[in-house]
Amino acid sequence: MEWEEAPRQHYTENEKQLIFNNEFMPHIHSMYNFGYRLTLDRDDAKDLVQDTYLKAYRFIESFQKGTNAKAWLFRILKNSFINDYRKKSKEPNKVDYQEVETYYNSEEVDRLITPDLRVESLKDMMGDEISNALNSLDVDFRTVIILCDLEDFKYEEMAKILDIPIGTVRSRLHRARNLLKEKLKSYAKTMGYNNA
Amino acid sequence: MATPTNPFIQPDGKKPTCMEMLQLIIDNQVTEEQRLYFSQHMGHCLPCYKKYNVDMAIKELLQSKCCGGNCPDDIVAEIKLKINSMTA
Repeated sequence: MEWEEAPRQHYTENEKQLIFNNEFMPHIHSMYNFGYRLTLDRDDAKDLVQDTYLKAYRFIESFQKGTNAKAWLFRILKNSFINDYRKKSKEPNKVDYQEVETYYNSEEVDRLITPDLRVESLKDMMGDEISNALNSLDVDFRTVIILCDLEDFKYEEMAKILDIPIGTVRSRLHRARNLLKEKLKSYAKTMGYNNA
Repeated sequence: MATPTNPFIQPDGKKPTCMEMLQLIIDNQVTEEQRLYFSQHMGHCLPCYKKYNVDMAIKELLQSKCCGGNCPDDIVAEIKLKINSMTA
């Protein structure tokens, strides 16, 4: 539960309550959305959020007051998801990231796999298309999109939350965006945009 | 008029490709100076202009449709109750 090499803090009960209420609780809606987008189930999201906040309180002395509480909480939730939830559910397909990085290094391949979507077709997607497209991605790809586009984390923060190098964050995001575009392009085709 | 220095150039002198600049922009990992430089760059780079518009439209769709509403009130109440029982 340690966040970097922060020395163990010593807080009074009152200070713990203040940190919990003022620094942790304001992120509960983002945490719930993250939990929901990972599990795709509202009850599981509820359990994950509750479990995360209880762990956060239990390990509050690993958190340094006034630092990045949001990233710290997201990391706990992500670890709980991997350690507790993912083990219980069907193990998703593993992505071969070595292969992904090789892909990323070839601009020629990149051009070929990037669908030529049009802004007009995206503007007509008023329903659940984007949400369904996001949910259909492998959880590791979905996660980087959520952290970057919905929560506006920096590469360095994402690397810490996910325990991966910054270069991997970048290549995973790049690949995730291309996969999302492929999904959206197939939705656009069903909506009648043949040259989506 | 002198061409402005590309603020995306790395300290080792490596010049970024259009794709690399675009990714930093879409991922919102840039300074204001880099953002300004890229918007000028798009004025004479049609592939960047097109890709930027599509990628930003997707990002805006994600932000408007996937932020998922509020956490139910009962979770907040339940968490607070459990925390209080831990400290009691």
